[in-house]
Amino acid sequence: MAQVYKLRHIMHSRLIALLVGLAAVCTVAGFSSPGQSNGAGVSAPDDVRQIDLEGLKKLLHRDAKDTRPLLVNFWATWCDPCRDEFPDLVKVDDDYRGKGLNFVAVSLDDVTDIKSAVPKFLKEMKATMRVVLLNVNDPEPAIKLIDATWDGQLPATFLYDKEGKVVFRHFGRIKPDELRAALDKEVGSKQ
Amino acid sequence: MKKYGLTLFLASLVIIGFAAIAGSGRNSNDFPAPPAIGTTIDDFRLPDADGKEHSLNSLKGKNGTVLIFIATKCPVSNAYNERMEKLAQDYKARGVNVVGINSNVTEPAAEVKSHAAEKHLTFTILKDDGNKIADRLGATRTPEVYALDGSGKLVYHGRIDNSQRLEGVSANDLRNALDEMLAGKPVTKTGGAAFGCTIKRA
Repeated sequence: MAQVYKLRHIMHSRLIALLVGLAAVCTVAGFSSPGQSNGAGVSAPDDVRQIDLEGLKKLLHRDAKDTRPLLVNFWATWCDPCRDEFPDLVKVDDDYRGKGLNFVAVSLDDVTDIKSAVPKFLKEMKATMRVVLLNVNDPEPAIKLIDATWDGQLPATFLYDKEGKVVFRHFGRIKPDELRAALDKEVGSKQ
Repeated sequence: MKKYGLTLFLASLVIIGFAAIAGSGRNSNDFPAPPAIGTTIDDFRLPDADGKEHSLNSLKGKNGTVLIFIATKCPVSNAYNERMEKLAQDYKARGVNVVGINSNVTEPAAEVKSHAAEKHLTFTILKDDGNKIADRLGATRTPEVYALDGSGKLVYHGRIDNSQRLEGVSANDLRNALDEMLAGKPVTKTGGAAFGCTIKRA
């Protein structure tokens, strides 16, 4: 009886060790949920989270293990060219997510619209990229954190490489061909 | 071996050089750079919403001029209508004229006129067809301000204040700059960024 118990104990310990080992391997290999990096979280249209300046810093922070390029689009439901370009961005998200693109759309809508106008628009667009709402009293530090050449005009789109450097920027409605050319270069360069 | 090492070293320098250039980030916009603070803004001529032509010199205030790129449809610009009008009234008495400029190709002169009447904007608003003045000044968004002193030198370029919502205003950057300018002091904060609508260029 004692021998059976001892054998069970050994097997149990080995199972735990195996699970711990597997977890470690998964972590090192970067097998985390694709929406959980950069602290922004997954965002279904009904669950747009608000972030502040610290949240924006976290969003931009590049984990050494994360080699995906990061695309950040600043938009608002009240901004006509932002609305106009959104279907192109949804297509970009569809086409490049599987190729390793990390895409976050940052809404500059008023925080009172976080449960109404913002999710309504995202549903209409069938948006699947992560969406957060930036809520800051003074926008200047946030704008300058993103890019020194940006003055805050919307929409604005930035592509960061795996080191966190801006490799593409566009102010105003995106030109999908230009954005896709820049994306092709980045998703191709990591392979 | 030494020769190989030197070649490798030179090749590394070339690669680092290319990486530095690439690292600056490509910009698919060709916005002209705005004039530096201290630059004298040259005279220009533009029609108002009625088609009457004005020169910058004829609209300048004795002690300064505030040029504001505005829009009829942009909610951010519209959030500032009352503040812009109050600014014009407050500083008129102190010899500073406020002049609006609409450079949006999507907003014709008739719309600029009806918008101004509806929103009770009494300062002169110029229509910048072909965005020539927006290009010359490197203006990118609405609202965007260029404040000139009495001699026409640029003393402030950027936002009106920090918040679209009046109750959130905690940094009156433009008014602070004008007050310092009128007091003969150097302007402490010569610009500021804020979210706004992109100017719709032709």
